[in-house]
Amino acid sequence: MKMSRNTPDKDDQTSTNKKTISLPISRVRLIMKSSPDVSSINQDALFLTTKATELFVQYLALASFNNSSGKETNSLSYSNLATTAEETETFQFLSDILPKKILARDYLKSLEEMQEDDADF
Amino acid sequence: MASSSGNDDDLTIPRAAINKMIKETLPNVRVANDARELVVNCCTEFIHLISSEANEICNKSDKKTISPEHVINALESLGFASYITEVKDVLQECKTVALKRRKASSRLENLGIPEEELLRQQQELFAKARQQQAELAQQEWLQMQQAAQQAQMAAASASAAQQAGSSQDEDEEEDM
Repeated sequence: MKMSRNTPDKDDQTSTNKKTISLPISRVRLIMKSSPDVSSINQDALFLTTKATELFVQYLALASFNNSSGKETNSLSYSNLATTAEETETFQFLSDILPKKILARDYLKSLEEMQEDDADF
Repeated sequence: MASSSGNDDDLTIPRAAINKMIKETLPNVRVANDARELVVNCCTEFIHLISSEANEICNKSDKKTISPEHVINALESLGFASYITEVKDVLQECKTVALKRRKASSRLENLGIPEEELLRQQQELFAKARQQQAELAQQEWLQMQQAAQQAQMAAASASAAQQAGSSQDEDEEEDM
């Protein structure tokens, strides 16, 4: 029987129970330590960060779904997420990794329009 | 799972864990693959965000290690105050579980019996069990033997009776 606090009890619950942690804590620690200047992290602080990350995923997914037309089609797309991140203040930190995907033809069209504008001169 | 790349920045939460969470949060919803990939990357970004903020708060304090207090303050200043109650609950639960485990293992240690004695008692129990097994096996063997003997005797007397009967017939035939 593993006595380590680091191992989430995968067998104990099948759902992201409010009282427990699903994400792998050791991986969260690795990611935290790869942040510049972060040296040591208290074990309890690690638990808190892991749980906060779980909540973040849940909120991001739910908000994006509620925000989108996905409710009719029962689906969630990349742009649903991107739009939600853009529109939610606390998710602004994601803007760097969230280029809103645009269709190639829209891009080409806007390029053309720019060229036409230049041609007017 | 060991990461093959040496680059720290490639660290992410395993895709499977994210998929599971998405499934539980949005059951029966079709989620595009690129959307899932995005969530994975957002997680990493979030963790960096919290760590950096907590680290800054930690640096301003006298401590060298990022404490739970630092993380909570970071969540608050970053606009995630709504998460605080729930994360605190989980921390409490984790501590309670860990405490129970420690109590359970120390209860075992504190029976007051030293390990050698426990070992000796275990050997005794094993020996006793082996003996009981042997006795049981022997009893069964005896019973089988007895049953077999009885069966033999029954068979023997039956065939003897038959023979006696048939030889009488022969005698009768000869007389005729």
